[in-house]
Amino acid sequence: MSLRFQRLILIIFTLVIFCSAVLLILFNTQKNIVFFYTPSELIKNDKNLLEKKVRIGGYVKKNSFLQKPLNNYQFKITDNISELLVFYEGILPDLFKEGQGTVVEGVLNNKKIIIASKVYAKHDENYMPASIKKELEKNNQWKKDYK
Amino acid sequence: MEKRLQMISLIGFFALCFSTIFSFTLLIPVSIFKINIKYFILIFRLSTFLVCISFISLIFAYVSSDFTNFNVFQNSHSDKPLIYKITGAWGNHEGSILLWICMISLYGFFYSLISKSANEFKILVLKFQSALFIIFALFIILTSNPFLVNSVFVEEGLGLNPILQDPALAIHPPMLYLGYVGFSLVFSLAIASLFRNNLDQDWINEARTWSMISWGFLTAGIALGSYWAYYELGWGGWWFWDPVENISLMPWIAGLALVHSLLMIRGEQAIEKWIVFLAILCFSLSILGTFLVRSGILTSVHSFASDASRGLFILLIFFLTTGFGFLIFLIKTPSKKDDLHLLLINKTSALIINNILMMITVFTILLGTIYPIIIEVLTNKRISVGGPYFNSTVLPILLPGFLLMSIAPVLSWKTNQIKKFRIYVICFLILSLIVSLQSYFTSFNTWGFIGLILGSWIIIASIISIMIRHRFSFTIKYITSINSFIAHIGVGVMIIGVTFSSIYQKEYNFNIEVGDKVSLENEILKFNDMQIIEEKNYQSLKANISIKKKNGNIIYIKPGKNYYPVSKMITTEAGIYHDWFKDIYITLGSENNNIWFIRVLINPLVSFIWLGVIIMVFSSAIAVIKK
Repeated sequence: MSLRFQRLILIIFTLVIFCSAVLLILFNTQKNIVFFYTPSELIKNDKNLLEKKVRIGGYVKKNSFLQKPLNNYQFKITDNISELLVFYEGILPDLFKEGQGTVVEGVLNNKKIIIASKVYAKHDENYMPASIKKELEKNNQWKKDYK
Repeated sequence: MEKRLQMISLIGFFALCFSTIFSFTLLIPVSIFKINIKYFILIFRLSTFLVCISFISLIFAYVSSDFTNFNVFQNSHSDKPLIYKITGAWGNHEGSILLWICMISLYGFFYSLISKSANEFKILVLKFQSALFIIFALFIILTSNPFLVNSVFVEEGLGLNPILQDPALAIHPPMLYLGYVGFSLVFSLAIASLFRNNLDQDWINEARTWSMISWGFLTAGIALGSYWAYYELGWGGWWFWDPVENISLMPWIAGLALVHSLLMIRGEQAIEKWIVFLAILCFSLSILGTFLVRSGILTSVHSFASDASRGLFILLIFFLTTGFGFLIFLIKTPSKKDDLHLLLINKTSALIINNILMMITVFTILLGTIYPIIIEVLTNKRISVGGPYFNSTVLPILLPGFLLMSIAPVLSWKTNQIKKFRIYVICFLILSLIVSLQSYFTSFNTWGFIGLILGSWIIIASIISIMIRHRFSFTIKYITSINSFIAHIGVGVMIIGVTFSSIYQKEYNFNIEVGDKVSLENEILKFNDMQIIEEKNYQSLKANISIKKKNGNIIYIKPGKNYYPVSKMITTEAGIYHDWFKDIYITLGSENNNIWFIRVLINPLVSFIWLGVIIMVFSSAIAVIKK
């Protein structure tokens, strides 16, 4: 094989890798992303989100938390305008508390009920994702002044 | 007493200020203000000394629980054990940035001690290092001063987040920062070499040492964080593709590419440009990472107090350094016309392909990490990109790299041949046969198959190469000569660990009463009793669980929950039983009428992950000593 030919193969090889990487990225950004909403945004949303995986950020509504047999839980997640009912089976994070911020990932069962597969609470008790916080601030629901 | 305590903060602050001022004087061009190299280095070391004093006084304020310092008040409590008082000094934003600049200065200090370069070059490197120091010192003084005085008188502090009170996490930030900041010195070296137009072996050798040191520390730092997440968060995993993890991975991979390219220069002269580019990129990615974490732009489980002005400042620093770096790179790169010695399969082409793959990986991770920000700006929709995206993009991209890695060290520089090629082929065929049989008789899983075959092939190919090419002896020289193979064996071990622990993980969930027995696959689990233990600054609730293994041995695992009265927080403490082949990982759930919910995870071969990391760090230490 001539030197030139070997170099050509290398370049082609590189291009193939590069293109497949780009394709992979494009394909996965279509498929593997989850949309993030506040409860009111979700309810206002016209798109059909039933049976789709979504993430909801908000507060655990006071006095809405119920423990059904052992590790089955039910609570409401709210942004003080609208609320959604959440069903969850599993271990709740330590920082999960009524009145605290939380993020729930799961599948919408009907317009107001979500079957959660994951419940997050942040390490920090003042946790709220920045983007959700902004939305809450816009509606003047952001009460706490965190330093 | 009060006066004396306030003095500490005052001393710390002034030491920091003077250190910055001294660094400023170093930037004055030599032509205006002629100073001897001796005095130049003396001033630099004085500045290092002062910033260390400043950091030590912060630690002292923490140790003595000086709540007149606002930072101490916010992050400490007099009940904490001494070690967490000390580590509390860098467990918060202000203190950690102080640690950061302390390290920038220390790296310069050690460079001035060790370097054997010409004096002009040394001065130039130290100047760039001081410039970086000043930028970050200004950031501290202007936006995140750890020496602010508390405006009200308080008796007690607010306490450190209990989840951070942990030995692995205590040394995780310094390790990580030693890695990130080490790239600042490589950055300074690269820029200085561009300025002096001396892209020769001298600075390459130095860059090799320093980038190896930084990369080793970064590896250790990331692994410690990951190990902490494994046993402290109680989720049973050790890598979650959290934005914070991703941004530490980017400089790590870029650093890996840098370290490999620096090896390549032994055989080739034409890739200095590329090395300079990587050196700048590594440090830029480190700063970008800091910016993304500290500004609170990204949604992540690490929440540092975020403040818009800080984020803006770090963004400014990022654009300043990166922009400056790449600008100098564009203007000053030499145009040597040495062709690369590319062949179909020789060391140079293997290393180039490896570099390309690593760059694509960095790009993929970067894209996935900032994609939510881009989408939000463009469409005002919020999305989250999680594990599935990264697993299905990053892993396939890395596969050819792993395949290449198994044989790369035995390729030659100038020819297409591999010594004793046949042995490799035969071994590979035998191995594939064994793995195929193994996966045929156990449950088949594509990724499990690929991971197992790649991991073991990397190990076997490296061992064959060691045996063929080097005669065994008990000397350091022998170890240094097979060092690259050792590092690759580490990667192989880690791949096997990662594959098994993520694919063949088994999960059992059940409700159990005190005294009950449950049988798992091979073991019998018994819930003996519940205990409450009073510790210094927390209360601990521990379940006493015994597991009878197949061979009759009984092991005890104590998962539990800790309650920290100061911050009114509960943390889950997973109970983990380690042995070489599997971890039994138990987390305690909630209780109802004396029935407890318990989750048991059987994680096979997790120890291989940590073993692999230890081998890699060991080999990077050897590579540094080799010099």
